[in-house]
Amino acid sequence: MTSNSLERQPARMPKRPKQALLAKIFHWVNIVSVSIMLTSGLQIYNANPVFGGRAGPHVFPLFTLGGWLAGGRDWHFAAMTLFALNLLWYGVYIGLTRRWKNRFVGGNDVKALQVGQNQKRNAYAWHRIVYTAIVPILLLAVFTGIGMYKPAQFYWIVDAFGGWDALRIVHFMTVPTVIGFAIAHSLLALKVGGTRLLESMFW
Amino acid sequence: MHRRQFLHLTGLSSAGLLLSGCGTNFLSDLAGNATEPFNQKVEELLLKPQTLVPEFPISQIEPEKLLVNTFRSTPQIDPAQYRLIIDGEVAQPMQLSLEDIYKLPFRSMVIRHVCVEGWAAIVQWGGVPLRELIQLAQPKNSAKYVYFQSVDRYYESWDMASCLHPQTLMAYQKNGEPLPIDNGAPLRLAAPIKLGYKQSKWVTRITLTSQLLKYKGYWEDQGYEWFAGL
Repeated sequence: MTSNSLERQPARMPKRPKQALLAKIFHWVNIVSVSIMLTSGLQIYNANPVFGGRAGPHVFPLFTLGGWLAGGRDWHFAAMTLFALNLLWYGVYIGLTRRWKNRFVGGNDVKALQVGQNQKRNAYAWHRIVYTAIVPILLLAVFTGIGMYKPAQFYWIVDAFGGWDALRIVHFMTVPTVIGFAIAHSLLALKVGGTRLLESMFW
Repeated sequence: MHRRQFLHLTGLSSAGLLLSGCGTNFLSDLAGNATEPFNQKVEELLLKPQTLVPEFPISQIEPEKLLVNTFRSTPQIDPAQYRLIIDGEVAQPMQLSLEDIYKLPFRSMVIRHVCVEGWAAIVQWGGVPLRELIQLAQPKNSAKYVYFQSVDRYYESWDMASCLHPQTLMAYQKNGEPLPIDNGAPLRLAAPIKLGYKQSKWVTRITLTSQLLKYKGYWEDQGYEWFAGL
């Protein structure tokens, strides 16, 4: 019985969605580089917390990378190029292949939500809204990061945010935003396509 | 109470990590060493050696934000006995008293001082541009780096282009007043183009060299980035 049902399963299972190899590569490199940026960033944060300064609450060491400030900076500056270039080539790729038009949120998703009849279609619309919205957040992390890395050469970035402290807060706020995104993105992907969709994006 | 205990704990643990830094942070060193040559190239390209970094109006100075970080203790210096030595790859090695230094061209600037820890403060610094001192000593063509020796045995090294930047000062004035001893009196480095740990306090010796030596700077020798440009 058991073996019988096991044998039959593949035939019954809908085909795993196919993902473009380049999209998978981007996804993987992004996960790894963002994780390094995030944990090493929290290590740097601990040298002088954005909120409260030296007396302010510190991030628990389990979530930090590098051991001390210089180690955190080593990791942060090692991964930043990987993180930014990955976003760059992916931007070129979705521009050239017009993936931007049909693989990200569009008017049809907004329309679906407005009509609001099909639950599955609504979940899919939210899924696309969420993973589209993270792109400008990642770009904001790079932009504010350049301003903090070279504030004398890119003084206009610091000025655009109204000063150093505001720039630092915006750069830091990309951390909780990305964590929140990772949770929402995973849950929505599961809801929309189940483990098959998740697996298709990773392997 | 809790916060204090926590700070005490984190202070202890980071001190422990500092001591064992080289061993436990092997991977961090590896990541740093693999990418720093490339990052340094980018930093050198980004530095505009003769372009002024925009300054701030005096009204924007943030006196309370400039924290004092000293690696040992504040030294005692007798201003009358103080001498600044300039030597190394120069045709004219010299010793200057504070009176000599005060007679040299003065420059004042209101700039953002950025600490590696993440905080920043807008500060006014006044003093003699370092390039005036370097020119006085007549640098040889072989001079490529500059070492700074401090009374408290803090040491630093800079690339020549950053030293010749018009806003790199040997400062003796802060926020319109004589430089306080805690901030490096009688003479300290001040520049908008380098992180705070590059800006040595209590400098007594400036040595031009043709190459970087084994010892690059107090913090650099423990793992901090050397160029540290802003």
